[in-house]
Amino acid sequence: MDLGLSKPVRAIKALAPPFGLRGFGPADVVILALVAGAAGAVVVFAREFEAPFLQAVQIDLRAAAVPKYTLYSLMRGVLALSVSFLFALLFGYAAARSRAAERLLLPVLDILQSIPVLGFLPGLVLGLVALFPYRNVGLELAAIVMIFTAQAWNLALSFYNSLKSLPDSLRDASKMAGWSPARRFRELELPAAAQGLVWNGMLSMAGGWFFLMVNEAFRLGDRDYRLPGIGSYMSVALDQRNVTAMGQAILAMVVMIVAVDQLLWRPLARLPRRAAVLRRRAYRSALRAAGPLQRPLQRPLQFARPVLTLHRRVAFGHPAVVGTGVAALVVAVLAGGGWGLWHLVLLLRQLGPRDWGRLAGASGLTFARVMAAVALSTAWALPVGVLIGRSPRVSQALQPVIQVVASFPAPMLFPIVILSLERVGIGLGIGAVALMVLSGQWYILFNVISAVSAVPEQLKDATAVFRLPALATWRALYVPAAFPALVTGWVTAAGGAWNGSIVAEYIEAGGTLQTTTGLGSLISVATARANYPLLAGGITLMSLIVVGWNRFVWRQMMRLAQSRYTLAQ
Amino acid sequence: MIDQVLLEARQVSQRFRQPNGQVLEALRNVSLAVRTQEVVALVGPSGCGKSTLLRLLAGLARPAAGAVFYRGQPLDGILASAAMVFQSFALLPWFTVTENVGMGLEARGMAGAARRDAVARAINLVGLDGFEHAYPRELSGGMKQRVGFARALAVAPEILLMDEPFGALDPLTAENLRSQVVDLWRDPATGVNTLIVVTHSVEEAVFLASRIVVFGTNPGHIREELANPLPYPRRERSPEFEQMVERLHAILTATLLPEPEPQPASAPQRLVPFPRVHVAEVTGLLDHLLTRPDGRGEVFHLAEDLGVDYDRMTAVTRAAEQLGWVVTPGETVQLTAAGREVMSGDDAARKAATRARLRQHPLFARVLAMLKEELEEGAEPAEVEDEDVVSDLTIHFPFIPAEQLFATIIEWGRYAEVLDHDPTAGRVTLMEGA
Repeated sequence: MDLGLSKPVRAIKALAPPFGLRGFGPADVVILALVAGAAGAVVVFAREFEAPFLQAVQIDLRAAAVPKYTLYSLMRGVLALSVSFLFALLFGYAAARSRAAERLLLPVLDILQSIPVLGFLPGLVLGLVALFPYRNVGLELAAIVMIFTAQAWNLALSFYNSLKSLPDSLRDASKMAGWSPARRFRELELPAAAQGLVWNGMLSMAGGWFFLMVNEAFRLGDRDYRLPGIGSYMSVALDQRNVTAMGQAILAMVVMIVAVDQLLWRPLARLPRRAAVLRRRAYRSALRAAGPLQRPLQRPLQFARPVLTLHRRVAFGHPAVVGTGVAALVVAVLAGGGWGLWHLVLLLRQLGPRDWGRLAGASGLTFARVMAAVALSTAWALPVGVLIGRSPRVSQALQPVIQVVASFPAPMLFPIVILSLERVGIGLGIGAVALMVLSGQWYILFNVISAVSAVPEQLKDATAVFRLPALATWRALYVPAAFPALVTGWVTAAGGAWNGSIVAEYIEAGGTLQTTTGLGSLISVATARANYPLLAGGITLMSLIVVGWNRFVWRQMMRLAQSRYTLAQ
Repeated sequence: MIDQVLLEARQVSQRFRQPNGQVLEALRNVSLAVRTQEVVALVGPSGCGKSTLLRLLAGLARPAAGAVFYRGQPLDGILASAAMVFQSFALLPWFTVTENVGMGLEARGMAGAARRDAVARAINLVGLDGFEHAYPRELSGGMKQRVGFARALAVAPEILLMDEPFGALDPLTAENLRSQVVDLWRDPATGVNTLIVVTHSVEEAVFLASRIVVFGTNPGHIREELANPLPYPRRERSPEFEQMVERLHAILTATLLPEPEPQPASAPQRLVPFPRVHVAEVTGLLDHLLTRPDGRGEVFHLAEDLGVDYDRMTAVTRAAEQLGWVVTPGETVQLTAAGREVMSGDDAARKAATRARLRQHPLFARVLAMLKEELEEGAEPAEVEDEDVVSDLTIHFPFIPAEQLFATIIEWGRYAEVLDHDPTAGRVTLMEGA
């Protein structure tokens, strides 16, 4: 019972499974073609423009400059988030309103959120820099596009799900009341979706910081594509081994995360309820002020109303209009995909057997690293998650701490981790696994905590009364109860690790470039040496491995989890 | 070994911290000794701590004060010679019937053939043969609870603890299962010789128990004990059974609807909590009483006729009584002249009558006084923070969840158009003209 007395407690929630449980169908063939098409398009885009050498950005390491760089980073993050929200609203509407759009857009989203988009980063940066050779516009655009790809998909899915789960009776009631579509959006659909959007917005922002830090500190071979921001500040501090500056950068990042949480998400979480109250008050005072004017103002509006509503119905509601729009969209997407695919094929034909051998070897290594990272993350996050989730008091107390730590963009710390591992004699080949763990572990921890804290008290009592030994209690109760959430965590963590491989296998640490064999470094090296066929092969292969593994392995596990290991009886 | 004290709670108290920081005392100084061969039923209104006591006896929680003894030895940890049956069944959804039933055998070091035999025997005792490989989600509620019983019986417990074991079942299934429980207890093959059952149903307590312990609230304590010497198996329609039910009704009514203590007219009215009931429930009761000859009825009959449990019925009756619309001599609920009058008016008249009554009610008067004070200090509109009201309630009623009482005050205040509440701002306001 919420009396508005207790502060809204944001418990740790589980992630939604990142894809549906559909079987493999003809749609998937189209989708795979689209992915390949996108890969081809990016590479062609990069190749078309001979990327110039940009003047490396000058970073001022003095403490007084930190706020400026933090603000730059914040602006990029918030700008991308606004674009993502806009995209989410458009996508959600399109997919929820039109059956045809739904059938096309959902699978596309499925893919978009599971492919490792960081693989596209080098190509994208090169292409955009070439478009705007004299200023930072291209780099800024690349940064925002990359953050967008980290933020948009789960927001879009969340809004779509909220629209879909709105009870028909509510929709009917609003229609009977004669609400306009705009009012329905403002007072019905947006409030109903608000909670999901806020929660997913928080997750998106964390993902966005990750990508932004990579972007701001991006270097390719001897070319420097760094952008002024907290990410490049950190990377320069690392180059110069300036420990004070490193500390300042990390502190600034933490402050920014906490501030965004307190000043953006917390007020937003309460907004839908507050908005109604504020509006009512404003309306009342406006009426009082405009008392004498009220009638003459209302008249013309009343006359205009039928015209306005009729117009709207003709313009947007007509099936023919909707049908044409959807058809145009489908054709555009397919045509774009087809064009990209054609170019991809042309590029891939240039690869010889030796190149394919290299690609296969690199894929195998990176795949092994990703799986090792998932296993290592599970090894610590599963037991710790159970211990935390078991006690409501502990999970309540730790929640804000975990949230900040989990939002902290791991790439900022990669060079530090690599240098410390080097000191104990661990090279990048193994060290990259540690970086991938940093990229994905929190998803597993979050999901396990949320699943375990949902275990009913009486089930815990039952295992206690029947004196199940500790190990047996974990085996019989906590691990199975956490399993469905654990699988979802694995999917997301593996996705994070694949993304992480781009930065983990090809990393600037302590002023020197370090690389280790793998698909992630292959993509970066190929871009740096302008070996476009190899770049295309790398991106395509990575996307196909991730998508294939999702379809054929994670999905099977999810089916098992949902059929056997759900707590709902 | 008859009459030996098997399990005993000595002067136990238990406290819980609410999310808002209020510490509720669930039990205070409760002592209960259970002997072998007894069937003890714990009855009482919700929030009286009967389930809390059961968890203490099982060793699932430690008392804040006092101690639990098993055969004279202080209990440390889970009571090994007991098994428990839960209202929500508490079966592991990913275990089959067989695996669920075998859950308690691992701790007893049973494995292999011995384990299989024990499981098969327990499944057979509750009539679940053929369902060994079913998963809980494939079973009806009654079948699930049979698995719950089989799991308890499989460990051959000396004491069987049951927390509203039939509460989640439909009446037909519940009746069938509870006569089987008596059979199981009388069957020496099960090894169970003592039952402790928490129940909400008077008939269930009389049907099962050899001793009935009645709890009172605020904080939870034992009000009275009633021996039930009827021979087993009991027949529910027999006059002796009905007589016993009536006796328990009388005790519960005295607990739940105590006769008002005579007070000198000049004494200031004591602050009493308002029961957590809705406006429509009270008008529903008055409506029903109007249809009865002389506008009266016994509280347990009213509960039966209206299809609510006695706990809820007495809460509604207490609210109506506090508002002066009924009186409750003994077990009877009698509509008053004021009650008839309020029902004869239209909606506005009802609200006006409720408003007049609430203003005289010490609890509402107190909240209104807080608001009037603000008004006199020049605040416009007069408003108080929710937290101030709740903390005031916490001080006066330490045993009642203050937020629930607060919600009731708001509902009635809104209905009578004296109070309004803004949950976003967290403020209570005085309605215009109130």
